[in-house]
Amino acid sequence: MNDRIFGLLMLTLAVAYGWGAQQFPEPFGGAESIGPETFPTVLSIVLALSSLYLIVRPDPDQQWPWSRTGAEMVLAIVILCLYTALLEPLGFIVTTTAAVGTLCWRMGSKPVRAYVTGLLGGIVVFALFNFVLELPLPLGILEVA
Amino acid sequence: MESLGFLMQGFGIALQPENLMFAVLGAFLGTLIGALPGLGPANGVAILIPLAFTLGLSPETSLILLTSVYAGAMYGGRISSILLNIPGDEPAMMTCLDGYPMAQKGKAAEAMAISAIASFIGSLIATIGLIVMAPWLASFALTFGPAEYFALFVLAFATLGGITGKNPVKTLMAAAIGLMIATVGIDGSTGTQRYTFDVLELFEGIDFIIAIVGLFAISELLFFIEQHAGEGKPMIAMNKMTLKLKDIVAILPTSFRGGVLGFISGVLPGAGASLGSFISYTLEKKILGKKGNFGEGDPRGVAAPEAGNNGAASGALVPMLTLGVPGSGTTAVLLAMLISLNITPGPLMFTQHGDIVWGVIAALLIGNVILLLMNIPMVGIFVKLLSVPPKYLLPVVTMVAFVGIYSISHSTFDLYFMVAFGVAGYFLRKLDIPLVPVILGMLLGPEMEKNLRHAMQLSDGDWTILIGSPLAVTLWCIAIAGLLLPVIVGPILRRRMSAAKAATDA
Repeated sequence: MNDRIFGLLMLTLAVAYGWGAQQFPEPFGGAESIGPETFPTVLSIVLALSSLYLIVRPDPDQQWPWSRTGAEMVLAIVILCLYTALLEPLGFIVTTTAAVGTLCWRMGSKPVRAYVTGLLGGIVVFALFNFVLELPLPLGILEVA
Repeated sequence: MESLGFLMQGFGIALQPENLMFAVLGAFLGTLIGALPGLGPANGVAILIPLAFTLGLSPETSLILLTSVYAGAMYGGRISSILLNIPGDEPAMMTCLDGYPMAQKGKAAEAMAISAIASFIGSLIATIGLIVMAPWLASFALTFGPAEYFALFVLAFATLGGITGKNPVKTLMAAAIGLMIATVGIDGSTGTQRYTFDVLELFEGIDFIIAIVGLFAISELLFFIEQHAGEGKPMIAMNKMTLKLKDIVAILPTSFRGGVLGFISGVLPGAGASLGSFISYTLEKKILGKKGNFGEGDPRGVAAPEAGNNGAASGALVPMLTLGVPGSGTTAVLLAMLISLNITPGPLMFTQHGDIVWGVIAALLIGNVILLLMNIPMVGIFVKLLSVPPKYLLPVVTMVAFVGIYSISHSTFDLYFMVAFGVAGYFLRKLDIPLVPVILGMLLGPEMEKNLRHAMQLSDGDWTILIGSPLAVTLWCIAIAGLLLPVIVGPILRRRMSAAKAATDA
């Protein structure tokens, strides 16, 4: 079933991608034997054919993690997105402590040790990048204005 | 023997203090990366690319660093095979068969030393093979026209799943997805915007380094969370080593055979390191079957697969350096490094960037000596680091990935992209869609399209030029065989591999 859904999604992608390729404006200087749309067209055909095969003959299913594990994974993705979003406004050390700490904690570490790992990791990498490698990372709210 | 002259020049480059320092650093990091379960060689090299990049290292130095990491990872894979009975990376699977029983008998230190020596011999043989074969193959590849190159790229994708791969259709899909991602951005030769949706960040295309780090590192984190593997596994303690010269001599013939077989399977498209170690183990078992106690901790059973996989690792550099077509995930990542350094891989690299190529080859030889020296006395340090449980390791690795990507462009857009690729990578892996063809597609896409375009311009739009020469036809035939063989031979080989594994577990 998984493979069928994936095949269907990829088939849609192949069709949309192939259709998109036909909409490219003709390049400046007139059409040649091979234009910007030729290669994408070939690719969309390959993907469409292999998707069809997958829909007809799917492999046996893998188990998906529902319920708690699934929620943990969504949480991890949310953490990574928040890490990205807050990296510049809050600064590297603060966000790293929060993100790495929370990830360690959720993966089974004791909370205190988890956040200490995050804090130490953040400080070490920050020092390494800013002072040794001279690649500035944002300091954010820790910056003394 | 003009190769020797070039090699001497190469040594001149590789022995510069800065390069030597990075070779040592790379060897150390590589061993560590190989040893830690959940941080494979491709993954490890991928995370280090942005760092090498932002450090502003010269092309030679960056490549020396990453090839040492690559060589080191092959050494490191054995450590967790022997002590934990979990291969640190896929090719090290066969090392579990005799390595773990040896450790159980209280001979962990001997197993480590033997495998280090065997790895060294395997690598050495294969590097010599590389020195002999690469210039020859490069000059042969100069006769390739665009049509042959196009066929060669198809061959690379077709054989990438490897003989042990599962579903060739999925390999094909993965390749198509990767190539499609490569078409995003402004078309190099006509200036047409393709699939950019008027998003400024997409005009230059999608940076494959971001994709690689996301696909490998972030998806690995998600996998560990899913499997609740945060705690790690119990480990066998090390003992004091009592290795005699006699024991080393006893494994030499095995190591030589393993190294040669490994090199061959590394060079051949579609074989790779896993098959290299498998073949050399089974052959050794056939030859010495009655005289040895394979599967119960025979030292030769440790030496054979280690020599095999290290041989294959160096062998896999042959197609990557000479044709620009990598045969494995890690060499694909190394290719990514080359491309981002603006070096076009392929036969011309030997003439245009000879200093780099020979510097890297020399570094491989030096790296191996360093690794041997590092791996026998210092194995205890690696064992200590191996006991860091994944619950701390993976979040920290994720942070390093974030910092690496962020430091390239200082853009959070790239980080969101990386996370998105990570999630996509998780789903693809769950569906058994291999990730390496996706990456290879992103890397080779532009070259592949360029060659198609040249071929068609030469023939004035006649598609039959793609099968217009005997060489091209041969390449197409191998490609088709590469897609069909896994369906026929694959199940048999995979059954044997798992049977061999199951027999020792029981």
